[in-house]
Amino acid sequence: MKPLTARQIKGLITVIGNTREHEFNCAECQRNVSEFIERQLAGLPIDKTLARVEQHLTVCAECREEFLALEKILREGR
Amino acid sequence: MSANAAFLQNNLVRRDQVASRHAQVLLRFALAYCDNSDKVSRVVETEINWPEALREADNSRAVTALRAVLLNGLRIALRERNDVSEAQLEDFTQEALLRILERLDQFAGRSKFTTWAHSIAVNAAFAELRRKRWQDVSLDALAADGHQLSEQAVMPDAALGDDEDRTRLVGILRKAIAERLSDKQRTVIVGVLQEMPFDQIVELLGTNRNSAYKLLHDARCALKQHLSAEGITPEDIRTTFGV
Repeated sequence: MKPLTARQIKGLITVIGNTREHEFNCAECQRNVSEFIERQLAGLPIDKTLARVEQHLTVCAECREEFLALEKILREGR
Repeated sequence: MSANAAFLQNNLVRRDQVASRHAQVLLRFALAYCDNSDKVSRVVETEINWPEALREADNSRAVTALRAVLLNGLRIALRERNDVSEAQLEDFTQEALLRILERLDQFAGRSKFTTWAHSIAVNAAFAELRRKRWQDVSLDALAADGHQLSEQAVMPDAALGDDEDRTRLVGILRKAIAERLSDKQRTVIVGVLQEMPFDQIVELLGTNRNSAYKLLHDARCALKQHLSAEGITPEDIRTTFGV
């Protein structure tokens, strides 16, 4: 195995720091992300359920990538 | 008005003859689409009751309309990628439509329907693009990498710089990986670090996505507890280590 890069190690440490005992998995994030992104783009407050979406996005690179793509679609579609 | 739009307006359906509200809004959509496809989502968003239109026995117009909305969205989302063809975008859209129709009952109405549908389309497209990049990796290779994860050669003390605190953090992390994680947890961590698609990791482990996510989550919790026991808090990570 090649040595990990500084970016990979920093990424791992960041994700460890952002880990919560109770957090959404990807399916739960997916079920709620459309509501979360609409409220976020509208500048509206989020409740505890949607806060879990936000937390999941800090620990899951795949969901974050998809969230950013969705954000792009909605911003350009406005 | 384009020729297509004029045809629709004059020959297909006259507005005053339309009994169904769905037919009216779909016609309006069709007209708008013919005239200016860029503005499609804005025109139809507040007017179509998508779940109802898609549940109708003849939902072909609604499906056609939704396909156009999703395809337009994926074009925007994947515009900067030069490895995605128009044919692939069509395939992703088709897969997304199937998923959306299967999951219509899961739409709870807490967001616009199209936002929910776009999220499914984006998930379908990105999952497939990730999968193609990692077709030939074996579980043995991934597990072997997992075994090496806690080795100095893979995670050198000075990986984050020569600063004493950072060197200590890397050392503690390495020890935590070696002592606190199972072989399977190390395998999942390595897969994620190497940006392997999670679906691929799940497949290699022969488990399901929820179980694999729990494995990963338990691993992160174990590492966090170890760092915490060594006096390293999330706040320390954010401030002292600048990550």
